[in-house]
Amino acid sequence: MNLEHANTFHLILMIVICATIVITIITAKRGRKLFIRRIPGLSAIDETVGRATEMGRPMLFSVGLGGIDIPTLQAMGVMSHVAKLAARYGNRLIVPVADAMMVAVCEEATREAWLEEGKPEAHRPEDIRFLSGEQFAFAAGMMGLVIREKVASTFLFGYFYAESLLLAEAGQESGAIQVAGTPATTQIPFFIVSCDYTIIGDEYYAASAYLTQEPTLLGSLVGQDITKAILLLMIVVGTILAFFYVEDKNPLIQLLTRTVGG
Amino acid sequence: MLKHRWLLWIIIFAAVIGWALLLFLLGKLRSREKKLIIIVTTFLGGLFYVLEFFFPGKLHLFSWKTVNNPFTPFLEPLGQAFMVIGGFTLLLGVINLTMVHGGNIRKLKKGWYNSLAFFVAMLAMAFFGLWDAYGKQTTPFGKTAHEIYLSLFNGALVSLDATMFSLLAFYMATAAFRAFRLRSGEATVLVLAAFLVMMGQVPMGMWFTHGLPTEGSLSGFRTENIAMWLLGIISMSGLRAVNFGVGVGALAMSLRLWLYLERGAFFEQEF
Repeated sequence: MNLEHANTFHLILMIVICATIVITIITAKRGRKLFIRRIPGLSAIDETVGRATEMGRPMLFSVGLGGIDIPTLQAMGVMSHVAKLAARYGNRLIVPVADAMMVAVCEEATREAWLEEGKPEAHRPEDIRFLSGEQFAFAAGMMGLVIREKVASTFLFGYFYAESLLLAEAGQESGAIQVAGTPATTQIPFFIVSCDYTIIGDEYYAASAYLTQEPTLLGSLVGQDITKAILLLMIVVGTILAFFYVEDKNPLIQLLTRTVGG
Repeated sequence: MLKHRWLLWIIIFAAVIGWALLLFLLGKLRSREKKLIIIVTTFLGGLFYVLEFFFPGKLHLFSWKTVNNPFTPFLEPLGQAFMVIGGFTLLLGVINLTMVHGGNIRKLKKGWYNSLAFFVAMLAMAFFGLWDAYGKQTTPFGKTAHEIYLSLFNGALVSLDATMFSLLAFYMATAAFRAFRLRSGEATVLVLAAFLVMMGQVPMGMWFTHGLPTEGSLSGFRTENIAMWLLGIISMSGLRAVNFGVGVGALAMSLRLWLYLERGAFFEQEF
C-alpha cells in the first residue's frame, strides 16, 4: 500500500486520534486527577543517580545515534531530569553524542539543568563529547569512556542499532548500574539481558510524563492509551470480518477494503 | 540556469549576509519574542508536512478539473535546505574533538598518545581524501591518491568497523549465558523457545527432524518450521504490539511538539 498521501480513512483516523489526545490534555489541565502505574526503570533513575553519587563516580548518559528527531528529543527530556539530579548532588554527567548537531543541544540542556540548580559554575561543557558519526567508532569511543572514567551508572536512552549490545555489555562488565530505554524494538532484547532496568515500547514515551508528573503529559498519556484501545478494537473487528467473510464476494467488505486503502 | 557565473556568487554572498543579519537580529530579541517565533515557525513547518500528506496527490474537482498537490513540489527543496542547515554543524564535531584531544596532548594526560593517533588518522584521511577528490592522482609514495585513500578506508576504517562488529559474537555469548538461566517459569519458557529457535537455524538441529515430510500436517513439526512459527507468529505479534505503542507514543509526542504542548525540563527553558 502506497502511503505517499493519505486517503479519507487515514484523515478521519488521524483527526480522531489527535482530537482524543488534545481532549485528554485539556481535561488533565483542568485538574482531573490521573493515575499512572509504576514503571520500575523510571523509578530507578533517582536511585541510580544516588548510587553513583555515594560511590563518588561519574554517570554517563547516551541519547542514542539519532539526530534531532522524536526519540532523541524524548531522550533529551530524560537527560535533563538526570542532569538536574546530577547538579543537585554535585556529580558529573558525561554525555557522549554521535551527531555533531547534538553537541550544542546537549550542552545547552545540561547548562540549563546546572543553572536551575543554582550551580552554573559547576557545569563542565567538556563532558559533552562528540565521539564519531560512525556507528562502531562511536561504540568503541563510548565503551572506552565507560571503562576509563569508571562510571557508576549508565543511561542508554534513544535510538540504538547493532552497537547496543556492545554499549550495554561494556557497562555490565565495568559494574555500572544500567537503565536503558529505546523505541528500537530490535534492540530491546539486548538491553533486557545486559541492563538492570529496561523501558520497553511506549513506556519510553511515557518517561517524560512519569518523571515530571506534568498534567499536560499525563493527559497525553491517557489519550495514547485510549488511542491504542481504538486501534485494538479496529484490529479485532477487522479480524472477525476477515475470518467470516470472503472479500471478493461481500460488497460491504469490498467497500471497507477500498476505504481503508487495501 | 543563471546567465553569468558571477551572479551565482553574488546570490551566495547576499544569502550569507542576509542570514548573518537575521541571526544577529534574532539574538537581539527578547526571550518572549524568541519563544513566539519558535512556536510560529514550528507550527508552520509542521503544518506544511501535515497538509502535504493529507492533501491527495491528485484531486479531481467536478470531473473536469484535476488539481495536483500544491505542496509536494516543495518537499525536495525543503529537504535539501534542511541538509544545508545540517551542514553548518559540519565543523562542530571536529572542533569538539580537537578541543578534547588537543587538551589531552597539551596537558600530557594519561593516554595522550591515543589523542595524537587520533589527529594523525583524522589529518591523513582528510588529506588523502581531498587529494583524491581534487588533486592529481600521481603521488611521491609510489601509489595513486585513490589507492592510498582506498587503503586507508578499506584497510583501516572498514577493518576496524568489522572488528567492532565481530565483538558482538562474543558479547552475545556472554549475554546469553547470563540470560538463559532457569530461575522462574517465564525464564524456562524463554530458554525453551530460544533453544527451539536456535535448533531451527543450524543444520544439526534440522537434521533431528529431517525424516519428517516437507509438506503436509507433519511438516509443521520440523525444527526449522517450529522456529519460523515461533519467530513469525508468536514473537511477531508481541513485536507488532510493542511497535503499535511506540508509534502512538511518537505520534502523541509529535503532536505535543507541533502544538507547543510539550513540557519538562528541556522544553520550558527560556531562550
